[in-house]
Amino acid sequence: MTPNSLLLSRRTFLRGTGLALDLPWFETFARAAGTRNDTPKRFLSVYHPDGVGLPLKSDPAWEDWSWFPRGGEKDFVLTKVLDVLEPLRSEITVYSGLSHPASRNVHGHSNGDVYLTGAAIPGEGVYKNSISVDQLYAEQVGELTRHASLVMSTNGGTGAPRGAQTQSFNREGRPIPAMNKPRQIFEMLFVTSSKEAAARLARSKSALDLLIENTRSLKRQLSKRDQETLEHYLDAVRDTEVKLTKAQKWIDMPVPRVDTSNLHLDAEPKEARLYFQTMYELIYLAFLSDSTRVATFQLGRENGEGPHDLLSLAVGLPGAHGLTHAVKKPGGWQNLGTYNRYQAEEFGRFVQKLKDTKEPSGNGNMLDNTFAMHGSASSSFHLSRNYPIISAGGKNLGFKNGRYLKFGKGNEDNQAGAGIVSDVGWTGKMQVEELPLSNLFVTVLQRLGVETDSFGGFTGTLSRV
Amino acid sequence: MKNWILPALFVLWNMDAIAASTGSETPGTLQAAKELGRQKSRFLKGNATSVQAAEGPLSANRADFEKVVGPLLTQSCVGCHGPKKAEGKIRLDQLNPDLLNGPDAERWRKVYNALNKEEMPPEDSTDYKPTAADRANVVQWLGEELRKAAVAHRTSKDHSSFRRLTKYEYEYALEDLLGFKVSFASKLPPETVSEDGFKNRSDLLQISAMQFQSYREIALQALKRATVRGERPEPVTYVVAMSEQMPKLAALKSSKVFEKDDPKSKTFNEQHLWNRQTGQMILPAPVAVAPQNKVAFGQNPPVSPEVWALPQSAQMILNLDRFLPDDGVMRIRIRAGRSTMNPNEYASLRLSLSAHTSNNANFSQVVSARDLPVTASIENPQFIEFDVPLSDIQRNPFRKQTTPFPRRDEFLRIQNIANSAANVAAGEERLKVLIDYVEITAPHYEQWPPKTHTDIFFESKNKGNEQIYGREVLGRFLRRVWRRPAEPSELDAFMGFFAKVRPSVESFEDAMVEVLSTALASPEFLYLTTRQTAEGAKSHQNRISDLEFASRLSVFLWSSIPDEELLQLAEKGKLREPTTLAAQVRRMLEDPRSKRFSRQFADQWLGLDRINNVNHLKNEDLRAAMLEEPVAFFDEVLRQNASVMDFLDSDYAMLNERLAAHYGIGTPKVYGPHFRRVPLSPRSNRGGVLTNAAALTINSDGKDSHPVKRGVWLLQRVLHDPPPPPPPNVPEVDLTDPRILKMTLKERIENHRNQAACASCHSRIDPWGIAFENFDALGAYRTSVNNQPVDATSDLFSRQRLAGIDGLKHYLLTERQDQFAQAMVQKLMAYALGRPLTLGDSPDIEKLTAQLRQKNDRLGDLVHLIVGSDLFQSLD
Repeated sequence: MTPNSLLLSRRTFLRGTGLALDLPWFETFARAAGTRNDTPKRFLSVYHPDGVGLPLKSDPAWEDWSWFPRGGEKDFVLTKVLDVLEPLRSEITVYSGLSHPASRNVHGHSNGDVYLTGAAIPGEGVYKNSISVDQLYAEQVGELTRHASLVMSTNGGTGAPRGAQTQSFNREGRPIPAMNKPRQIFEMLFVTSSKEAAARLARSKSALDLLIENTRSLKRQLSKRDQETLEHYLDAVRDTEVKLTKAQKWIDMPVPRVDTSNLHLDAEPKEARLYFQTMYELIYLAFLSDSTRVATFQLGRENGEGPHDLLSLAVGLPGAHGLTHAVKKPGGWQNLGTYNRYQAEEFGRFVQKLKDTKEPSGNGNMLDNTFAMHGSASSSFHLSRNYPIISAGGKNLGFKNGRYLKFGKGNEDNQAGAGIVSDVGWTGKMQVEELPLSNLFVTVLQRLGVETDSFGGFTGTLSRV
Repeated sequence: MKNWILPALFVLWNMDAIAASTGSETPGTLQAAKELGRQKSRFLKGNATSVQAAEGPLSANRADFEKVVGPLLTQSCVGCHGPKKAEGKIRLDQLNPDLLNGPDAERWRKVYNALNKEEMPPEDSTDYKPTAADRANVVQWLGEELRKAAVAHRTSKDHSSFRRLTKYEYEYALEDLLGFKVSFASKLPPETVSEDGFKNRSDLLQISAMQFQSYREIALQALKRATVRGERPEPVTYVVAMSEQMPKLAALKSSKVFEKDDPKSKTFNEQHLWNRQTGQMILPAPVAVAPQNKVAFGQNPPVSPEVWALPQSAQMILNLDRFLPDDGVMRIRIRAGRSTMNPNEYASLRLSLSAHTSNNANFSQVVSARDLPVTASIENPQFIEFDVPLSDIQRNPFRKQTTPFPRRDEFLRIQNIANSAANVAAGEERLKVLIDYVEITAPHYEQWPPKTHTDIFFESKNKGNEQIYGREVLGRFLRRVWRRPAEPSELDAFMGFFAKVRPSVESFEDAMVEVLSTALASPEFLYLTTRQTAEGAKSHQNRISDLEFASRLSVFLWSSIPDEELLQLAEKGKLREPTTLAAQVRRMLEDPRSKRFSRQFADQWLGLDRINNVNHLKNEDLRAAMLEEPVAFFDEVLRQNASVMDFLDSDYAMLNERLAAHYGIGTPKVYGPHFRRVPLSPRSNRGGVLTNAAALTINSDGKDSHPVKRGVWLLQRVLHDPPPPPPPNVPEVDLTDPRILKMTLKERIENHRNQAACASCHSRIDPWGIAFENFDALGAYRTSVNNQPVDATSDLFSRQRLAGIDGLKHYLLTERQDQFAQAMVQKLMAYALGRPLTLGDSPDIEKLTAQLRQKNDRLGDLVHLIVGSDLFQSLD
């Protein structure tokens, strides 16, 4: 099987998993939510464990199977690993030289937890994570949609500390359980209308009414100056009321109707292709219906074992994690590259679909208003540096794509740590300079409309992005 | 209206006190300096306490300004502080001479201080130097006008004590209310810290919608945890007796077994099982234990010769598999004793929970709130008990999976935390902790339903009637939450809410939890109220009600809500009777909750929080010890009712082993992690808070001491005389200049100070900081820096020479006692009221300082004085 035969034509794809949203509903929705003139800004992060192939230049496999492109910012050449994205060249950006400083000497398998948080968690012992970039954005826009965020992974749940099965962490640094069953996700998005949620909301509203009344009677007994102080409290209560009113709107609104005839809602990770495409399809539908504007998706888990490590079956290869250990065996780099190529292909399919869909508000296509990133917290074997990251879309947010952006110094050809298959790599001293990935997150957050100049303890944006 | 932070105004009514300080006394002991300084106190000279706010209408004395003061200022000051130069951004020609009604009283106060301390005009500008008589005229006029302004501002309502509870007060209040520590309350945002360090300032305590939602969530979660439903859950219990474990492990192939005479067994520094009778030893792997059915918890079997031995840092690791419940308290009982009773050695136990779910995915978290000491001998061992709230700690997320991978088991680790090996002579046997019996149970309840539940849902004959009983439960709860009885109409409103909630939830308790949690988000719980009562307004009493007074008192001394006794006294109107009040304050200070006062006040007063942001302090034990020392010292001075002058110098310190080692204090020996009073020799270079490692460390720059920071800290925190903030565009010390690079730190600072733009402020800051130069960036004593001897002598602006830390203390004790006493009154009063002090408060502060000095400066007495003062009882 040649890699090219894996490429499905776009038309096949659209026929294959075709679904339809009930469009009249869509207009109702847009009117009700008042978002017609307010184009949603969306964020997606897809995480894959175990890094990518990074052979030495002297290795014959380097030319075809090194993950990073060759060449400069505009004239870069994609290797066979990423050439499936060539048709989307003008819609993507590839990054090198980014990593989380606190993790650079932590084993790559312990690092999936902090990819979106940047928390300084040592390799063992005490574990305290912090808020992930997607949740920071969800705090701002979560109330505009039925669901604040959509957190998915192939394994589901939270996973263990240093072995996360979710990419999303809340303000207290606690993991947000990921959903992994397509049917459950679908039902949450498009079927369930929660009675309990409605009851809880009603209770909250009565509680606020009671508190406002109670506060008014206190206010009458205070000096003018103290009344002003108490007014701040009342403001906080009223702001909360406004939030509840918004939530009420979602509860009252019928869930969007979606044609499921072509959705494979019972697909399992073992059926890698089907499962993968269904999960992406659900993200697409969630975005299209503006059910959420924030999504994370983790493929497998670091140091994967068991059925969830079998996504590589889609390209006829055994356990994905094992591929990274076997790169020095005959065909090893090619095998790992082929698997990474497949991940890029699925991501590309999703990106293409966003591009082909008009933004319901009329502001360009959906991709133009979505920042979608795809990456891992390690590059070469267990090495928590030089993360392999691709982003797509976001034209209307200010992202200029069609570029290969190299950051840092001293590793322009991505050879630091290349070709290593022993733990000397990840424990070794950092010889080159890299920039904090948090700087990219600050840029992304700012363009999504979050007022911040730092993330995860690092201040500043990334130039050139 | 703008609030003023009021720096020391002790010079306000007495202008000749400082001028006398020429430093001519020969330095004696610090004790002698203390006595000498006390004799100089103006507060102890006759008429000092007669300072009273003048009655009747006040008016500004413009005539003397036009005739005398104005022309003198024009002649001596306006050259530099006028239209031509405006040095220090001060234009004397533009200040409004009406201090009572004009906007410039605060600026005039600065002018007054500069003239009174003879800091202005500067030494070198001889052309402008006024005669002593002229200076006295201006100072006298300004002093009187400022005094009148203070009285005028006293009655203007530009400040208030009405404020939100701080985060820590809220946490303590929940703890006292519900009967357990509500750990998840820590999700509230941290408070803004005022310039003078306080976190409870009424004008800075804000609230946002997000915070309000957090209050609601925390309250709901806390009440759900406090209350229970249904039958008592069956606990999971593990019993680990070494008498059973040892033979089992000896039979295992994987165990290494050594008999008594095996020479290798003598050198074990790892954990091992040991039979004290036969001498047999086993090096075990983690021991897997299974829960037992129907086993009684709380047994006390005979002490067995088989023990688990833990040398320093070693752990006993118990694999509890996957059976611990999700919620509730896990109680662990460990029977332990010491192998030797050498008093130099200290040992304690610490618990962690860990899991290793797969390669590279592991964690370990300390779950014991603090280390508990092992003091008994193994012949007569003690039970040590830990309670761990299971829902608060990191658990193995896979524990409920049906497949064995990732691993589902959880490990309890019992570790011996001991002091350093240096305390044992070579060849002597080192202390081990020996454990012969362990019990673990969860969820553990002392009673069912637990007390936290019955405190809310108490026994009542009306339990059968949801309406009547609900109202009873609500009434009792609201009285504690609001610190006052609820009105019937208020009960109606909350019961109306109950009626709305009840149909949508399962049980009566669930509905009540919703209602009660709403009360915990109400303003009267979250805020300290200061109601204007109709009677108060009529009688012009300007006093808070008895119940509000009870809250103010308990928040001051307990950082929390009042207890039943205080509430009852307040309801009966007896709390403010002087003898009752004195007895209550004594009771409150004897209560363990008053430790919060020591902790919070010392922490905020000295700015200790910053120790958590210091990068050059790597050792966590040392950090914790540094943080504790000033708190323990304040607590000691408070409990002994000792003199506040002890903060400047004392012949004792509060130390633990780690800190004594850091200070190089070898005699008497200090063992173990707990703090105790240690006598100091006169040559120890310690005593008081100025030389606390925490204070010296937070005022360092990461590599070395930072005299400027230390100087500012002393002025701001200790003397309450903060220097002005640095101007924008301060030139940095230019380290690329090779001339500067060669200089010592002190020379660099002097060089910086010689630049005109910097001189005016730094000449008033740096000398104080240089006196600390014998202390390095972590507060350890040193006599040389970079192979050069330390030069810690400096001259104050007044040309007073300070020779190192002893010189500084000498000076403060002989010349600045009044200022420091007043600073303490200011700081404690600002903390007690939770608002910034203003010009209008100064007469009261002055009076309290005089009373404090007359009571031999005793800190405990000062607390009584503050509580009984007009300011503490007043509405605003």
